[in-house]
Amino acid sequence: MSIRKISISVSLVSTLLIMGYYLVNLILMNRQGDLISAEVFRLAAVVIIASIVLNIAGNILTSIGVSIIRAIQTRSAKEVRIIEDERDKLIGLKGTQVSYVAFSLGVLAAMLAFVTGQPALVMFCLIILFSLLAEIIGDLAQFYFYSRGS
Amino acid sequence: MEKHRVRNTIRKLRFQHDEMTQEQLAEKVGVTRQTIIAIEGGKYAPSLELAFKIALVFDVSIGEVFSYEMEDE
Repeated sequence: MSIRKISISVSLVSTLLIMGYYLVNLILMNRQGDLISAEVFRLAAVVIIASIVLNIAGNILTSIGVSIIRAIQTRSAKEVRIIEDERDKLIGLKGTQVSYVAFSLGVLAAMLAFVTGQPALVMFCLIILFSLLAEIIGDLAQFYFYSRGS
Repeated sequence: MEKHRVRNTIRKLRFQHDEMTQEQLAEKVGVTRQTIIAIEGGKYAPSLELAFKIALVFDVSIGEVFSYEMEDE
């Protein structure tokens, strides 16, 4: 497995964990009747910050981990260069494009829910949910493009 | 419309050049081994710059490495 695929896997797992945490908390709030704006905004802030921190930490740890494994495999203290070539950039861009489309559709769905009479808080919850879902779909799309070649 | 695809002779050229490995070629042109595998397998069409770099490594013209042919049915 290439470093890019490992990096995408880390991003995928961290986003899945964050989405799980978000959904569990949202369901618990709903059951306890605590679905009030202050609590939902606090949860959204936690989810957004956790998403940023986990992605950065994940990328740094992946780079360190891969460098250590490569150094052990090659039995050399020479610095391991991690290359991101034109194919990686192209696949990254395609993944981002898929992610944007998924997020746009999610925002549209959230707005439709609002138009059909759901409260604004539900629309907000749906937007956060679809932003996480879009990231997952983007990562899965990148996996697909890597398996296809580009 | 007829379907075309980029074909290449990288595998043959590598063996003609002291059985150069994919890793060595990748290092020379500044890409990952996975990209060389994808190009060799015809799954990825490289940029013009990368195609020139590959041709330069083998010291042949770009036409001797890459060709644009009709896809087999």
